[in-house]
Amino acid sequence: MRVEYINPFVESAVSVLREVLGSDVSRGQISLGSKISVLHDVAVIVGLVGQVEGRVVLDLDKTTALKIVSVMNGEEMTEFDEMTNATLTELGNMISGRAVTRLAELGYKFDVTPPAIFVGSSTVSDTIESLIVPIVTEFGAFKINVALRER
Amino acid sequence: MSEEVKEPRGLKLDGSSYKVLIVDDSIFVQKQLRQILTSEQFDIIDAASDGTEGVEKYKQHQNEIDVVTLDITMPNMDGITALEHIMKVNPKAKVIMISALGKEELVKQALVAGAKNYIVKPLDREKVLSRIHAVVSR
Repeated sequence: MRVEYINPFVESAVSVLREVLGSDVSRGQISLGSKISVLHDVAVIVGLVGQVEGRVVLDLDKTTALKIVSVMNGEEMTEFDEMTNATLTELGNMISGRAVTRLAELGYKFDVTPPAIFVGSSTVSDTIESLIVPIVTEFGAFKINVALRER
Repeated sequence: MSEEVKEPRGLKLDGSSYKVLIVDDSIFVQKQLRQILTSEQFDIIDAASDGTEGVEKYKQHQNEIDVVTLDITMPNMDGITALEHIMKVNPKAKVIMISALGKEELVKQALVAGAKNYIVKPLDREKVLSRIHAVVSR
């Protein structure tokens, strides 16, 4: 998998989170995952279909996810419900929307699916190894896990 | 020294509130818009979660609504189609599109179809208030 596919998602996540959290957000070192990814408690999954296909996952633990949605809502949220799901969906939409723009500028054409939210630990199986980049916020760290390939 | 007191941007010259219809499939975005707009005394007359419901609610309140915020990507009926229906009902309707980045072509289509402006998410309080105020006070 090409590194140029993951960078737009990482840059987009960093810039969107800086805006919605109003504080500094940084990225860690990229690493190679396996074809089977065991995810944390909360997964925001966006699919890509077109010239580039596969999936992008925001992989968070429960505490970090709840802290981020609390800041986005301006109120403390302590459990997962319709509003936390809607907030995570919107976060996924904003990150994928911005990344799509960057990938389109690089000449790739594809569509993205609306984000799906999974609460509870889950496993994703792919045909290629994923690339993983940690994102560090003051509310906790999470991972962007990307498995994309050119068609 | 006198300090300038700013009037809330949701108020008309006669002191009544501008009335807003929010059409968005995300309850999170609906809540954000509600919080931002009511903080400046806009009145949220109603909210809808897809284009079909949005058009129905526009028809229901058309004589009262001053501005509609309309999401572009929605289930059942998307924002562009809903905009076309609303413009047929009232060619002078004031509609502002709400869009994620990456939907530039659709935003252009909406502006051609009669939308007065657009706002890109994540929603910035000041941008939302200034764009909506600029449209309603024209």
